[in-house]
Amino acid sequence: MFFDLNVPIKKTIPRQSTGKKGKQAASEPAVNWVSAEIAAVEERIDLLIHLGYTVIGLSQTVNKKVDAKTHVNVLNQLVAQLRERPGIVYLKRLNIILDQDSEKGFGLINANVSLFHTYDLIALVPTTHNTFSLACLTHSLPSPLTAHIISLPLTLPRLPYHLKHTLTRTAIKNGAVFEINYVGALGGENDASLVEADAAENGPAAKRNWWASTRELVRVTKGKGLLLSGGVVIDGDLRAPRDAANLIAVLGVAQDAAHDASTKTPKSIVIRAQTRKTYRAVLSEAKVVVPGEATSEKTLKRLREDSQLAPIIPTKKQK
Amino acid sequence: MVRFKNRWILAEFIPVVHGSAQLGKRAAQANIDGKTIWAALKQSVLDNFGDTGWGAVGLSLTGESSVVPRNLKLIFFLLLVKYFSPTTNLCIIRVARDHHNMAWAAVTLLTAIEGVRYIPNVIHLSGTIKHAQLAAISHNREVIARYRALAKSPVAYQDGFDSFLETSELEIEAMQD
Repeated sequence: MFFDLNVPIKKTIPRQSTGKKGKQAASEPAVNWVSAEIAAVEERIDLLIHLGYTVIGLSQTVNKKVDAKTHVNVLNQLVAQLRERPGIVYLKRLNIILDQDSEKGFGLINANVSLFHTYDLIALVPTTHNTFSLACLTHSLPSPLTAHIISLPLTLPRLPYHLKHTLTRTAIKNGAVFEINYVGALGGENDASLVEADAAENGPAAKRNWWASTRELVRVTKGKGLLLSGGVVIDGDLRAPRDAANLIAVLGVAQDAAHDASTKTPKSIVIRAQTRKTYRAVLSEAKVVVPGEATSEKTLKRLREDSQLAPIIPTKKQK
Repeated sequence: MVRFKNRWILAEFIPVVHGSAQLGKRAAQANIDGKTIWAALKQSVLDNFGDTGWGAVGLSLTGESSVVPRNLKLIFFLLLVKYFSPTTNLCIIRVARDHHNMAWAAVTLLTAIEGVRYIPNVIHLSGTIKHAQLAAISHNREVIARYRALAKSPVAYQDGFDSFLETSELEIEAMQD
């Protein structure tokens, strides 16, 4: 089971004109997916499956902050139109690029929870020291708004902040992971929105920066809490999962840790991300049974045996 | 006696033409063969790991076919392209075990051979030639099955693939250590 949790999808949304009093139509504006775009995405997914990936995370990138009024989840309709493939799972992911303007707030607030529930995974790309500490400390705590993936801009000439041991250790303890995009190792093209926002670079210098920064990241995290993913825009830059794992093994990650980075770690991250939709990160379900005349003794006994939690039955005394 | 331990890497090169033309058989590019792959690999090791990397991984200059001079009994080629099939784009590379990670990384970091873009996909890595041969034969079978499924020809149709499978199997079995 190999995971590629970062397949960037680029789609420009036509600007919506807001009404004068700020009244918005309740329905989502229709995002037009042209059949040529869908065919390109299908081809890339075919290639990914040929290389051995089974879980594919399509990602949408937002710059600076998420504006709840104008933000559209373009991936919803895309996933609805993709061909059914047995055994392949599609996930939707949102990347938020953070920089100085987002230090005060960037939309990851309780009021917008319903918007974030349409995405399976949330990732942050911090580019300043303050946003990095925000991402590691505040946003990795379990809540309906946890951003479980911290994606560092590894192709920048100088990693904008020093990777402090305490910050990374806290983030990993809270359950967040640090993401490595292998496209930087090949000197391939990064997602255009990342390049525009100065969070990534293309070209031969980017390769050198990637090797240096990734080595530093591996050193600070000691090989744990790493997530290996693609970030690949051109089909020619895709690589098989074991090949990518070998690339970071060359950097100094132990071989089993490198293999975990594309199998066990993303699997646990995906499950942990589902806790966003539950109450207080509890994943089991309590069954509430209200005994009426219809509920017989046999049903109650069976329910008690079935579920590990005892059914919550109001006792007769309370009545 | 200290044995020379090797790793046999089975790699498939998927051509990328504008989009990705992987599934259909494209006989159009006859530009790559064992020697060009070796040259591209050497360049990749030199670019990414420098001269020290090349020294650790590949000694020989001439590749797979070379004449053994009279006075030297043993010439060990550390990095060798042992087999390449243009129809299925399958390549078998032998590397010394100690530095096979570096050679594998060099294969992964290859982007183009002779100007044409390829995606290198390492399908199998083994320590003995036997398992490499078995994996190569089953990979060829899968590729031919895929071509046939795409061509949608009737079941009893005699295409050239059967003979290709036989000859390639003989070639693969004929590989020596």
